[in-house]
Amino acid sequence: MSLDNPTTPQFKANARQALANENLQSALRGARNGFVNGRAAARAKLGPDEFDALRDAGRDLKNHVLANLGDYLEAYEAKVTASGGHVHWAETAEDARAIVLDICEQAGAKTVNKGKTMISEECGINDHLAAHGIKPVETDLGEYIIQLRGEHPSHIIAPAVHVTVPEVRDAFMEAHPHLDAERDLSGLDTLLAEARGELRAKYFEAEVGITGANMLIAETGQSIIVTNEGNGDLSQSLPKVHIVMASIEKIVPTMEDAGTVLRILARSATGQDMSVYTTLSAGPRRAEDPDGPEEYHVVLLDNGRSNMLGTEFQDMLRCIRCGACINHCPVYQTVGGHAYGWVYPGPMGSVLTPSLIGVEEGGQLPNASTFCGRCEDVCPMRIPLPKMMRHWREREFEKKLTPGATRWGLGVWAWFARRPALYRLGTRMGMAALRVMGRGRGKLASVPLAGGWTGSRDMPAPQGDTFMAQYKRAQR
Amino acid sequence: MSARDRILSRIRKAEAPAAEHLAAPVPGIASLEGAARIERFCAQVEAASATLSRLDSFEALPAALADELRQRNLPAAIRMGADPDFAHLDFGGLQVSHGPGRIEEPATLSRATFGMAETGSLVLLSGPDNPVTLTFLGETHFAVLQESDVKAGFEDVFAGLRAAGHDPRTVNFVTGPSRSADIGQTLQLGAHGPVALHVFLVAGGVE
Repeated sequence: MSLDNPTTPQFKANARQALANENLQSALRGARNGFVNGRAAARAKLGPDEFDALRDAGRDLKNHVLANLGDYLEAYEAKVTASGGHVHWAETAEDARAIVLDICEQAGAKTVNKGKTMISEECGINDHLAAHGIKPVETDLGEYIIQLRGEHPSHIIAPAVHVTVPEVRDAFMEAHPHLDAERDLSGLDTLLAEARGELRAKYFEAEVGITGANMLIAETGQSIIVTNEGNGDLSQSLPKVHIVMASIEKIVPTMEDAGTVLRILARSATGQDMSVYTTLSAGPRRAEDPDGPEEYHVVLLDNGRSNMLGTEFQDMLRCIRCGACINHCPVYQTVGGHAYGWVYPGPMGSVLTPSLIGVEEGGQLPNASTFCGRCEDVCPMRIPLPKMMRHWREREFEKKLTPGATRWGLGVWAWFARRPALYRLGTRMGMAALRVMGRGRGKLASVPLAGGWTGSRDMPAPQGDTFMAQYKRAQR
Repeated sequence: MSARDRILSRIRKAEAPAAEHLAAPVPGIASLEGAARIERFCAQVEAASATLSRLDSFEALPAALADELRQRNLPAAIRMGADPDFAHLDFGGLQVSHGPGRIEEPATLSRATFGMAETGSLVLLSGPDNPVTLTFLGETHFAVLQESDVKAGFEDVFAGLRAAGHDPRTVNFVTGPSRSADIGQTLQLGAHGPVALHVFLVAGGVE
């Protein structure tokens, strides 16, 4: 996948490949329970209903921000400028690339250190810098691993979740040829120590550090990053220039509002009460400061977001990128993030991708859902993800982008659904046939025309009667 | 029209539905007072894989620090900023150096402005007194905090920052030592920042 050529339209083929990839499946199995159990435990440690009350507050807060986004962005910009920083407005990914490159060239940068930022992924910053002779170095451990492997993140908070330990070992052996080829890399701790040692030197070499922003505070002009490793802070404190890349909807009005979001962010993401490092940054180093950057730039990215305001997709702009919907999604858990084919995977990606790159390219993703509803159940900002995926399916159908066989099948179904007597006769006959086929075992290993469904699990054979028959009996 | 004007004009034309700015609820863990607050702070510091010891006064710091360094098999040396609370202390045999963090820093010392009982976080402000790089480059990071500066939750911390008129380049909330689960989905301490964090909680202070 490359950012300019999403493989999103080939989601089905991607998913088939992912299912057949035993390495990927083993990595996904390893990650599944940790996130889900962690969130549940963190939620349980608060008082009854407190977590859900905070989710309501988070939803209401972002609705207020989106209703007044223009005013808050202007207030934020004024504060950043007053603290000696610079705000750059980018309408598109291309604009953002040009702005970042210009700042880096002005700084005479040869190396740019990166804290983890999905906006940078969305804009394809790394390839653009590299094409202009500037070396981007990812410093988040997961991002470092996938950069060595020439990959993109497969998860918004755990970018290397698809990589197994032996694969990390292989990547380090290849990327660090200056180290002893016979060294012991058997333990996880030895791998961590090696990455730490390699990156420590790089922090002191870079002229520019790029981070993302979990939030921007209008009241103070501060940008916030939330990390566990400390790489984002080293990337923004040691180089002489700090660039923050943030999308316009990251604004919150006050520090207290940021506190409300922080209370649900880490609990939803990793199951921590609070991530290790939460840093509020405003402007460049002060006159008397012995460390910190001499320049502070914020790149505010729109890239399609302002077009979502006031539409049925506005609620998606409440997203705080915790990854809970991804962690709880049975489709993501089965195929991993790369199958989604662009920057944002899972349920949030299925809604956001068509908004940002168009339904023609991204329209396959909203179909990658069983509508089980777990994503909405766990979303800290109460984003109605399944509802928005349905809206995208409708748009895809209206634009006649849905494959012919699907349109034909839906047409046949609609014809029957409008003729209840025929529909009920049909379901009765179908049920009887399935019951005969599954006799004695209570389940079916294969069903005609449903090989895709039964390929990885059995279909339960119908027990008892049709719904309508049972309903009528109960009414009597 | 500039990119800024075009973005703002699209936003203003969009007519997002009106919504009030409501006060958010404060969870019980962020509203503790007195001994319960200190008790929660200490418990949360340890839950975040940091360690904590209590001192009667700042004067007890040099001996306690020397002792911790010895027990951790670290050199008898410490890097710190120009914080006035450290300036008058006699660190005796410890080799003290002042300034921002360097590429290898076995042990660094910072003065935390606040603690936050809600999550066991330290709140550090960057500047000459406590250079921000000391918080991230020390392999073992020591932080000193006065009991009276332990706040209940975010609300009191932010109120405290406003009241004191602090305007640092960074406000750092630190909750335990650095960590990562990016290799094999297994949590390990000491990713890029400190491998260990130790808090000296000094009794008393002015409320």
